[in-house]
Amino acid sequence: MTPVIQTRKLSKWYGNILGLSEVSLEIGPGITGLLGPNGAGKSTLMKLLTGQLKPSLGRVLLAGEGVWNNPALFRRIGYCPEHDSFYEDTTGRQFLDGLLRLHGFGAAEAARRTESALRLVEIWGDENRLIRGYSRGMRQRLKVAQALAHDPEILILDEPLNGLDPLGKRKIIRLIKELKAGNRTILVSSHVLPEVEALTRDIRLLHQGKIIAAGDIHDIRDLIDAHPHVVALRCDRPRKLAARLMEEPHVLKVHFGPDGLLTLETDNRDLFFGGLPALVVELDLEIEEITSPDDNLQAVFDYLVGK
Amino acid sequence: MSIREKGYHRWDGRLEERRRGWKPIARLGIRLAFKRKHFKFAFSLSFLPAFVFLAGIYLSERLQDFEGIVRKGAMPLRVVPGYFLSYLTADFVLFMTVVLLIFCAAGLVADDLKHNALQLYFARPLAKRDYVLGKAAVVMFFVLLLTLVPGLLLVVFKIVFSGSFGLLRDHPGLPLAIVVYSAAAAVFFASYSLLLSSLSRNRRTASFLIFGIYVFSDMLAEILRGIFRTPYVGLVSVKTNLKLAAAPLFGTKPVLEVPSVYAFVVLAAVVAAGAWVMNRRIRGVTIIK
Amino acid sequence: MRAAWRAAVFFFGLGRRAKRTKVFFALGLVPVLLSLLFRMRHALSIAPRGFSGEFFYSNVILPFYVQFLVLMLALFFGTSVVLEEVEGRTLAYLLTRPLSRPAAVLGKFAASAGHALAVLNIGLFGSFLILKIERAGDPSAWLSVARDSAVLDLSLLCYLSLFTLMGTFVKRAIFFGLLFCFGWENVIAFFPGLTQKLAIAHYVKSLIPQPPGQTFSFLRLMLEPSPPLFAVLILAGLTVVFLAAAGLVFSQKEYVTEN
Repeated sequence: MTPVIQTRKLSKWYGNILGLSEVSLEIGPGITGLLGPNGAGKSTLMKLLTGQLKPSLGRVLLAGEGVWNNPALFRRIGYCPEHDSFYEDTTGRQFLDGLLRLHGFGAAEAARRTESALRLVEIWGDENRLIRGYSRGMRQRLKVAQALAHDPEILILDEPLNGLDPLGKRKIIRLIKELKAGNRTILVSSHVLPEVEALTRDIRLLHQGKIIAAGDIHDIRDLIDAHPHVVALRCDRPRKLAARLMEEPHVLKVHFGPDGLLTLETDNRDLFFGGLPALVVELDLEIEEITSPDDNLQAVFDYLVGK
Repeated sequence: MSIREKGYHRWDGRLEERRRGWKPIARLGIRLAFKRKHFKFAFSLSFLPAFVFLAGIYLSERLQDFEGIVRKGAMPLRVVPGYFLSYLTADFVLFMTVVLLIFCAAGLVADDLKHNALQLYFARPLAKRDYVLGKAAVVMFFVLLLTLVPGLLLVVFKIVFSGSFGLLRDHPGLPLAIVVYSAAAAVFFASYSLLLSSLSRNRRTASFLIFGIYVFSDMLAEILRGIFRTPYVGLVSVKTNLKLAAAPLFGTKPVLEVPSVYAFVVLAAVVAAGAWVMNRRIRGVTIIK
Repeated sequence: MRAAWRAAVFFFGLGRRAKRTKVFFALGLVPVLLSLLFRMRHALSIAPRGFSGEFFYSNVILPFYVQFLVLMLALFFGTSVVLEEVEGRTLAYLLTRPLSRPAAVLGKFAASAGHALAVLNIGLFGSFLILKIERAGDPSAWLSVARDSAVLDLSLLCYLSLFTLMGTFVKRAIFFGLLFCFGWENVIAFFPGLTQKLAIAHYVKSLIPQPPGQTFSFLRLMLEPSPPLFAVLILAGLTVVFLAAAGLVFSQKEYVTEN
């Protein structure tokens, strides 16, 4: 099968800052997650894929065609930018209708598509309000709406879940999953692992401008899980908890800190967190705080690149 | 298991009022201005008149060296208070002041409004007064650098070149006049530019307003003078008002037959308008209708 | 061309709703207001000899347009064409539509030109009607104002295209635009012979009748005029060249938004 999105040794420099280095990708229909911490080069890659930036080296092909200065291709591409920027003096309806008219749709067709897209993202009802008065979630959904209103085959969504509350996230995730039908190719970027996990199994991990892993998220998860995770707890009886935890095979070591702080390492985070509530009830502990100092994507990447 | 309620602890310390909250804002504004592309060029260029006037002072003391090239019967250059006033209100100096405002003042409030940064400022122990003072201090710093510093240095150079304190003996109020005019100009330009900067969220629009109103007011005054044939319409012009207000401080004849107090009133009105608009526009919370 | 038209319609609609367009419409009415003031003054007292409505129109209103309003309109609308999209981070919406980059620039230029020309002509014709109402039945007077309007429109388009070009590659286009308008164009006007032909203002001033009096200092025109046809060709040619260059630069340049 011919990949829909294809990059070959794609590199991008901003002056002497490296944005992307020799990225070769082949993405087919379905949802693909592009995962990477902030500054990894996700947005640079997405801008290169949508022809907003010119590659310093290498090639970008979408549906077999070069994308830079190829406007006809944009009938088939929908792009949701990362920035929360709009023509603020317009209403949601005017914004979407105007962009559809730029696609060459007639007035009636543009109006029909506007209504349909706004209904899909659940903004219909607020369509005549100025965008500057929209909530963060509505703005994010409006960005998604403008990306899909012209019914593109390829959707490139740059951090569509950024800054949304859990309910808003759920709505967008459901929407993106619905869009998968119809053999669309959807590339979604995020820096939050569970978000991408909720969307797809097929992911690409980007770190410092390079693709460091590609494939099924469960395999990558296993890779990640092979490394110990650090969890910090603050409770009234840390020694009692530590003694009990050390009986568990997945708890590797514990360390006592000041003011009831207990830091421990586990090689199975899911198992640890799954069993913790029962343990707390059993020992009648008063837990003040649970943090996971390395539970962020940067730490995951540090593990993967062996830092 | 008891679940501890998350909340705030009572703080028993004493909250001391920070009186210099404006200082970091001012420092940052000045630093950022120098980081702007082409600012240093414009800043250096604005000191050109100061060097020309300095050369004038030198020539006034060493006329005998230039007897060969000076036309017979030419009026000798007299360095009196009017000379300093000419520098301070020179068209080029005022023009360059406005150009510098485009760099250092246009975005002072507009950028904060655009990026919703006001709430970040006011989430700190910072009053609106500190914010405005800090922003105004940035403008005042540059205006004073263009007026007060060269003005006083010209006085010093006159004393050095003449080798006597004759200038100060004859005009003891001169340094004070320079200080008062410079301070008034600094306050005026700070209010003028912050007023316009706070009217827009776009730095480009603010730049445009700062420059456009300065030029437009002057043109309008000329046109209105043509229509009404009265010098009072000169009060519409920013430049003329500054010149009119400065004249009595230096004991010189005003550029127009208009009492200088009117110019003071106009300038004060701009300052008051600036304070009023800023008070309305600068808020930690914006309600979007 | 159809893509450019679509962009023009889109941006014309956006511009119509923008606050700045309303501000400029108000500014465009200043000449009308001045004309009204002049008329009122005329009605209330004896006007100075030779200071007729006609005199005021050609000695004050026209130069006000040439030396201020046209420049300001062109500077603001012209630099906005690209910079507004870059600063507002809305460029992505534009660049990911089936619209060639030159068409996008051309379209937004056309929309801006539409607004700027409306501002200019409403004020100009309004002033004309107020100041020359006695000659409203005279076709030659209408012909004369139509010629003035055409000259101002052409000069506006020329400056607008220059500032559009500036906006495509200079971030501080307003600063350089101001330097150009109030520095270069003014300074060069005082140079004799061919030197003053290096300013757009030279060709604009060559096309408007020189004021007979020098009542107002800022209206002084130090001019050794070029032939009218030559001036028109130069202005039109410059407009085309600047626009083509803007389209070219925009189609090749990457606009990196700062994070």
